[in-house]
Amino acid sequence: MMDVTRDTMMAYLDGQLDGDARAAVDAWLAENPDSAIELAQLQRQNEAINALFGPVAIEPVPPRLNPHRLALAHSRRRWQSAARAAVIVGVLGIGIAAGWLLRPVTDTPALYNRLIADAVSAHTVFVAENRHAVEVAGTETDHLTSWLSNRLGTGLAMPDLATAGLSFLGGRLLPAPAIPGGRAAQLMYEDSAGERVTLYITPSAGIDGPNLELVRMGSDNALYWASATITCTIVGPQSAETLQALADSVFAQLTPAATAPAYREL
Amino acid sequence: MVDFLDELEACVPALRRYARALTRNIDHADDLVQDCLERAISRRGLFRPSGPMRPWLFTILVNLHRNARRTELRRGTHLDADSLPDLGTPAPQHSHLALAELSRAIDGLPLEQKETLLLVTLEGMAYAEAAGILDIPLGTLMSRLGRARANLRLSTGEAQEPHLRSVK
Repeated sequence: MMDVTRDTMMAYLDGQLDGDARAAVDAWLAENPDSAIELAQLQRQNEAINALFGPVAIEPVPPRLNPHRLALAHSRRRWQSAARAAVIVGVLGIGIAAGWLLRPVTDTPALYNRLIADAVSAHTVFVAENRHAVEVAGTETDHLTSWLSNRLGTGLAMPDLATAGLSFLGGRLLPAPAIPGGRAAQLMYEDSAGERVTLYITPSAGIDGPNLELVRMGSDNALYWASATITCTIVGPQSAETLQALADSVFAQLTPAATAPAYREL
Repeated sequence: MVDFLDELEACVPALRRYARALTRNIDHADDLVQDCLERAISRRGLFRPSGPMRPWLFTILVNLHRNARRTELRRGTHLDADSLPDLGTPAPQHSHLALAELSRAIDGLPLEQKETLLLVTLEGMAYAEAAGILDIPLGTLMSRLGRARANLRLSTGEAQEPHLRSVK
């Protein structure tokens, strides 16, 4: 009688033996009841593992695990980042040209233009995120208000844009590289079609520039405005008119005392 | 490209099952599968279309899980092993109590034994395929598998009390 090793027993159990080898183990098991019992136990162990986790495979798959959808997001992200990088370079170029033409005190592009470029770059990075689009969710409005107001050193309410069909996703704190040691708040909104709009808000102390300016950036528009206390750049794929209407609403909610400035296009 | 994505899609249920068994947490498991699919999509240029898809995906998944575990350990955080596991609805012939005990026992296995055991028993992989995914020799695979099974029998009390086993 041949001796059946543990490995052969396991291969028998896991269905990895061919006909002859199976028959040999069958014959051996008939004469070794202890081993047959042990094998039956292992068999039950296998079945229990499959009973535990097997049903997961017939659960409906959540949409976020659909490869077609993931591939679409992947190629869109790649295309958008390339296109937007080109656009940002363009905007910086405009800023540099404007700075040169206006011959201001410094050689660098006007601060407000760099703020617009930063706002667009932050928009590009975070609207592409699904799970990590915001740091604090829009449901925690009170926390967002007190946290971001503290960090920016100026009172900042969370504008409600529901009347414009935008739901509030939440916000995050960002560095504002244009301002030494500066901080910015990014607030994100989404419309029913899934298009996202971001507000990029900084304190306005020390920033010279127009009160309101619109910059076309490829598929996105960026609308910048400044009040006595804050600057806000609204970035999104919507039309200039839509952004202007949004800006009026945001302006009224963030700086209730002042009147909204008229805008000019760059 | 459509073929690639369709093939990928066909593997998702098995990847979810394996990830769920590894992590016992539906959110962690699905995050892992999403990361795995995103890697696969971004690396498809490096993928030999002639090679089989399944072992390649499982290799990515196993490595992502190991990385995530290392990061957790370094951060000092850990998954709460006592929290209720997110299991599928178990088949009725096994008692919930016995299955919960087995689930805890699997969770207590060393990671290398758990990875091996689940590839073979849950995913029904051939030994050579599983060894390829884990990048270990066949002999190592067999010894891990044997130890995993022995450990489970010990921690679920079956080795001492064979008479308690229920008839299936």
